Amino acid sequence: MSIALEADRLTKTYGAVRALDDFSIAIPAGGVFGVLGPNGAGKSTLFRIALGLVRPTTGSARLFGAVPGDITALRKVGAMIETPRYPAYLTGRDTLKMLALESGAKSADIDGWLERVGIAHAADRSTSGYSVGMKQRLGLAAAFFTKPELVILDEPTSGMDPAGIQEIRALIVDLAKREGVTVILASHQLDEVRRVCERVAILSKGKVVAEGGVAELTAGEARLRITAASPIAQVLGVLGAKGAADGADSALADIRREDAPALIRALVEAGVEITEARWRDADLEGVYLRTLETAQPSNEGAL
Amino acid sequence: MLADAIAAERFRLLRDRSALFWGFCFAPIVGFLLSIGGDLFLHYVVKKPMPGLGIGLLDQMIKALAGGASTFGALFLMIGAAAILAGDYRWETWRLLTPRNTRQNLLLAKLVVVGEAVFWSLALTAVLSAAAAVIGAGINGKALAVSMFDRNLFDVLGVLAITWLEAMTLAALAACIGVLSRSSMGVVVACLGVRFVQTVLASSLRMMEQGQSSWKLLAIPVYDADLLRATLLEPTMLGQTASSAGAALAMLAVWTAVLTTGAVLLFRRQDLTKE
Repeated sequence: MSIALEADRLTKTYGAVRALDDFSIAIPAGGVFGVLGPNGAGKSTLFRIALGLVRPTTGSARLFGAVPGDITALRKVGAMIETPRYPAYLTGRDTLKMLALESGAKSADIDGWLERVGIAHAADRSTSGYSVGMKQRLGLAAAFFTKPELVILDEPTSGMDPAGIQEIRALIVDLAKREGVTVILASHQLDEVRRVCERVAILSKGKVVAEGGVAELTAGEARLRITAASPIAQVLGVLGAKGAADGADSALADIRREDAPALIRALVEAGVEITEARWRDADLEGVYLRTLETAQPSNEGAL
Repeated sequence: MLADAIAAERFRLLRDRSALFWGFCFAPIVGFLLSIGGDLFLHYVVKKPMPGLGIGLLDQMIKALAGGASTFGALFLMIGAAAILAGDYRWETWRLLTPRNTRQNLLLAKLVVVGEAVFWSLALTAVLSAAAAVIGAGINGKALAVSMFDRNLFDVLGVLAITWLEAMTLAALAACIGVLSRSSMGVVVACLGVRFVQTVLASSLRMMEQGQSSWKLLAIPVYDADLLRATLLEPTMLGQTASSAGAALAMLAVWTAVLTTGAVLLFRRQDLTKE
C-alpha cells in the first residue's frame, strides 16, 4: 500500500508552544482519512508542514515519498488550509484561472467545477463579496479542479449552511470512491468525520493519541440494549455487573458480540419478556472525548 | 515550472487594475500631462516664445527615460512592485499559492513580472514623451526634429535598458524587504528611503572624489546608472571616468543578482504560519 502522507518524528515549536511533539503518522493512499483534535492539537501545523508552508523544527514529512515543496509531489496535491482567502480584485472564475496557470493545469474544467460546488451564478463577481460559505465552496473547487491524487482539507464545511454541508460531504465521498482521490480531512464536526471517513487519527497536544478505522475505534464501545416488558430490575439481576439501566424499560449490557445468544437465553430462562435486543454502536464523539480525557485529563475536550 | 508561475503572476497583474494604473501608468501619464500643461501655460499665459530652435523627438524620449527611476518615478514603480511582491502577505493568499509551485518559482515569477511591468512603464514614458513633444511643438509653433543632438534609436533603447536595470536593483531590494517586512507599505517606504539616500550619497561622494570613479561611488546604483547614461550619450565629456562604465554595469547586475538571491533564500526559509 502506498503512503500519501508520512510524518516521522515531527516537532514544531513556535516560541514556547510545541505545536507538534515527536509526531509520527503514515496515512495510506486511498479513501478518506479524518484528523480529529481540539484547537491547538497540531492538525493545521501538520498540513502546513506537509504542503511546505512551514518548516519543521525537527523530524521530516513526506508527500508521496517526496519532501514538502517538491514540485512533482505538489502537482499531485490539492489543498484547502483553514478559511480560504483570495485577492479581492479577482472574481471566482479568475481565481481558478490564476490557480490553474500556477499549477500548470491549463485544461482544468473551471466552469464545471464552479457549477459542481454551486457558485456558478457568482463566478464573475469579485471574491470580496463572497460569503464565508461561498469562499469555502470556491476553496473546495480550487482544491479539486486540477484532478489531484491527494486532497488535504482543513475544516472544509465551516461556515456552510446544512444543505451545503450535505452537498460537500457527498462530493468528498463521491470523489474518493469514484475517482480514487485520497482525502485527508480535519474537522471539528465529529458527525461529519463519522459519515465521511474510513479511518481517523485523534491528535492531542501535538501527538497521535488514537488511530484506526472508524468502525474499529467504535466497535469496542458497542453495547447490547435490551428492552423488556418485565421490570428492569429483573433484567439487571441477570446482567449483574455488566448491566446498567437505560431508561425505565431498558438496560445496556456491556458484553462481547459472541456472548449475546447466551445472555438472551439466560434472560428468557429467568422469565424476562424481551421486546427488543439491539446492538448500539458507540458514537465517535464518545470515543473522541474519552480518548482526549485519557490523553490529557485537564483538557476540557474543546470541539 | 517557472513559466507557469510567471503566467499566473502576469494574469494576476493584468486583473489588478489599481496596481497597474498607480504603479506603472500614473507617472508616465502625469509626466505627459505636465509637459502639455507647461507648454500651454508658456504659450497662453506667459506668452513668451519657448527657448531653443526646435524640439527633438528622441531627445525628449531620452530625457524622460533618464528620469524614469528618479525618486518620483521610483515612488510609483515601488507602489506597483509592492503590490506584486508583498500582496500575498496582505491578502493572506500564500496558503493558496505555495501548495502549487516551488517557493523559488513563486518569488522569481513575481520579480520577472515586476521587470516586465517596469519595462512597459518605461516604454509608455518614452511614447508619451514623444507625443508630448509633438503636441508641444504644435502649441509653440516650433520645428519638430528627430533629434537636435544627433541621437538615434539605439541611444533611446540604451537609456531605457540602463534605467530598467537601475529600477530592477530597487525591485530586487523590494523583494527582500517584502519577504522580511511582509508589508506593502514597508516595501514602498524602505525602497524610497534607499533611493533618496543613494542620491544624496552619490552627490556628496562625487564632490569628495572630485569626479573620479572610486569603488565607493561604483557601489551606489544611482551613480552607476548616471555614469552609464553619460557614457552612452556624452562619452567625450566624461574623460577618464568613462572607463569605469563596465564596472558600473557589472555593479548594477551584481546588486540585482545578489538582492534577488537573498530574497529567494529568505523566502525559501520563511514560515508562512499566518501570512
